[in-house]
Amino acid sequence: MGRDQGPFKLDNPWPQIGWWSAAAVIGLSFVLGFVLLGRYQENGPTLDTWSAICRAIGLTSDSGAAGEPQPPLRTPTRIAWTRATLARVASGSEQSGAFVALNCGACHGERGVSPSTLVPTLAGMDPAVIYKQLDDYRSRKRLWGAMSAIAAVLTDQDSADVAAYFAARGDGLLPAGGESVPQSGRSLRQEDPTIRLVFAGDPRRGVPPCAACHGPGAQKLGAPSLQGQHAAYIERQLAAFAQGVRQNDINEQMRTIAAQLTPDEMHAVAVYYSAAGSLRTTRK
Amino acid sequence: MHHSKRLALYHYWVAFAVFLPAVTLGVWQMLMRSPLPAPLDDTAAYYASVTLHGTAMAYVVTTFFIMGFGYAVAETSLGRPIRGMTAAWVGFVICLVGTLMAVAAIVSGQASVLYTFYPPLLASGWYYGGAFLLIAGSMIWVMLMILNMSAWKRDNPGRPVPLAMFAITATSLLWAWAASGVLLELAGILLPRAFGWSDLIDAALGRTLFSVTLHAIVYFWLMPAYIAFYTLLPQAAGGRLYSDTMGRLTFIMFLIFSLPVGMHHLLGDPEHGSGFKFVQSALTFLVALPTLLTVFSICASLEIAGRVRGGRGLLGWIPALPWDEPMVLAAGLSLMMLGPGGFGGLINMSYAMNSMIHNTSWVTAHFHLIFGGTVVIMYFAIAYEMWPRLTGKPLFSKRLARWQLWLWFWGILITTIPWHIAGLMGQPRRVAAFDYADPLVARMGPLVIISVIGGLILLVSAVLLVVILIRSHFGERAVGEPLRYALAVNPPARVPPALNGFALWNAILMVLMVVAYGYPIGQFFFLKQHSVPAVEVTSQFNPKGRQ
Repeated sequence: MGRDQGPFKLDNPWPQIGWWSAAAVIGLSFVLGFVLLGRYQENGPTLDTWSAICRAIGLTSDSGAAGEPQPPLRTPTRIAWTRATLARVASGSEQSGAFVALNCGACHGERGVSPSTLVPTLAGMDPAVIYKQLDDYRSRKRLWGAMSAIAAVLTDQDSADVAAYFAARGDGLLPAGGESVPQSGRSLRQEDPTIRLVFAGDPRRGVPPCAACHGPGAQKLGAPSLQGQHAAYIERQLAAFAQGVRQNDINEQMRTIAAQLTPDEMHAVAVYYSAAGSLRTTRK
Repeated sequence: MHHSKRLALYHYWVAFAVFLPAVTLGVWQMLMRSPLPAPLDDTAAYYASVTLHGTAMAYVVTTFFIMGFGYAVAETSLGRPIRGMTAAWVGFVICLVGTLMAVAAIVSGQASVLYTFYPPLLASGWYYGGAFLLIAGSMIWVMLMILNMSAWKRDNPGRPVPLAMFAITATSLLWAWAASGVLLELAGILLPRAFGWSDLIDAALGRTLFSVTLHAIVYFWLMPAYIAFYTLLPQAAGGRLYSDTMGRLTFIMFLIFSLPVGMHHLLGDPEHGSGFKFVQSALTFLVALPTLLTVFSICASLEIAGRVRGGRGLLGWIPALPWDEPMVLAAGLSLMMLGPGGFGGLINMSYAMNSMIHNTSWVTAHFHLIFGGTVVIMYFAIAYEMWPRLTGKPLFSKRLARWQLWLWFWGILITTIPWHIAGLMGQPRRVAAFDYADPLVARMGPLVIISVIGGLILLVSAVLLVVILIRSHFGERAVGEPLRYALAVNPPARVPPALNGFALWNAILMVLMVVAYGYPIGQFFFLKQHSVPAVEVTSQFNPKGRQ
């Protein structure tokens, strides 16, 4: 098709019309977009031509801000959910983990079911969650009692091993991803305010549903399952996030959400999740 | 049945078989968002449904319909059998397999990323693989359209290619250019990540590549409607096409102006500078040229038909038109929806005005009005025009067909006008449920309920469409007249080579694409690193299953 048309031959009218109008359109829009209109800013002085062109390309021509004093860098955690991290977590060995776990039993219970209401149950918890928390304790991104000292003597591989060990213990937390079949009470029309908060959140305050990350029915990477966790522990963590005492949530999501909750709501949600775990044991 | 007729018919059937369930999903989604109680009140199901509805309507229905339309046009307008029938069937099977893969992945809840993919969201590899097969399979159709047109030109030197064939070849070239973006995104970014070959997702590059597709695909959908306007409508109205040259120019301009403009979908994205956004916005406005040219020449063609039928006076030709013909009625309704739809589009593409409506329901309402209304109603008319020719059986009932078109027209208006208003009030798009107890949200409630009613009307109309087509399919065989395309008032004896082929315009388009997209895409390879961890919506992560 079209060998005879010579798109680059300018001796007949259509190629001329085509190329000239394309050139005119390009020229006009570039002059407007890169030079003339790019100079004006809504809340700043009009730019010189060079800065306008840089801005239009998407580069900032001045680097003034870099020289100014910067606030100290503070990151919530060292963990990023890259494939390398996940591979490391997945490499955990349950058998070696059982040995490492000898250090944990005194507080977290021999098989990861904690006897104390302020110490979390670890049995059945996602290994990525345990791995991240241990790293956060090690890097002092999260502070609690003896945990930083304990985590400091563990290697990365130890963390992965012990995480695998507790993840495989039964009779603890329910897996968050289960029960994906929709049940009643998943909507904003739900009467019970606690169930509404858990399954539908509160859009008015920007609170997403707890269940979207912590289950039941869904799970996001790094979010622990809560069904069967001690109510007092959940409530205390919510308070710690709300007050900014605990700051190791990667995207600041728990600090944002918890700050929106009333103490009564924290208590009710904690009790709900705690009871959701015992439902399983009674059903069995 | 003639072999190539069966080919076209199979494509049409897939399109309409997918269309009806996809409309049903749309109605349910609108119900979910409304204050009314919806069955299966589950937000995860909502996003799976939106993905299925979008994938079905945007990729499956349109691609199959247009491929079928292309085969029918190639044979009837050139007046000879299609070359490459085997390849055409192979393409059909590849597209069908791709469709089934994608649908299976969505239904199993592994791909709720919406049809525009939205990296760094990550779906199952089956979904991306299915979408890739569907789109890549349609490239066989593209090559067959080009092959058939050039073979005809070789056999008929110096003669003008029939306008319908010229236009469908422009459509296929447009689709090849458009699909390059999404195919590169799938093959270069999403599939490697889904297979686990790469660690991160370059979300910004992915979005930029998709923007190449995202606007041009709309014109790909639109082209059959315009082909019908130029080549079928004047004939159905009993008149002639006002100008063959205007038609050629229109399709050439659609090819050129639909492509280097996609960045107006990224006006809110931080990874691009304001200059390129402005340039592409400015180029977008040029699409008004072929649109206005079409409105002018279609009105002129209809006026010719109306006056031939005895219409007198300034506007007397309008009532003299054969409004009982589905094609004429659909064209009239379509043009009425093109007005507000096109006006809304001007707001979306304007760099500054866009910020008022960005990511609100206005945008969803807009593309339902312009695509669901203006374009799809012409698909119905094309089906009514072609079904008797393909099956050899007359249309079951023109009266029912008119009812169907009118219901669709009102359904679209009742759905989309309140939807636009809710968007202006600030209702966000892509949200599964709203808290109507909130006074700010509560005032949108009645508008959404009206939209639900419009959706139900659309569902009735869609059911009616399938009933008419099935009844026609199993009707009495009768000798139908062959499909005739409208003659121009002055049928072209010769046309300049530039208006009889696409080499020149492809070369110009290539230059425009390099100018408009060269830097915005190139910058990711040497200046900016935008790779981020993917957010998997695939396996909802179970500790025991992960190795």
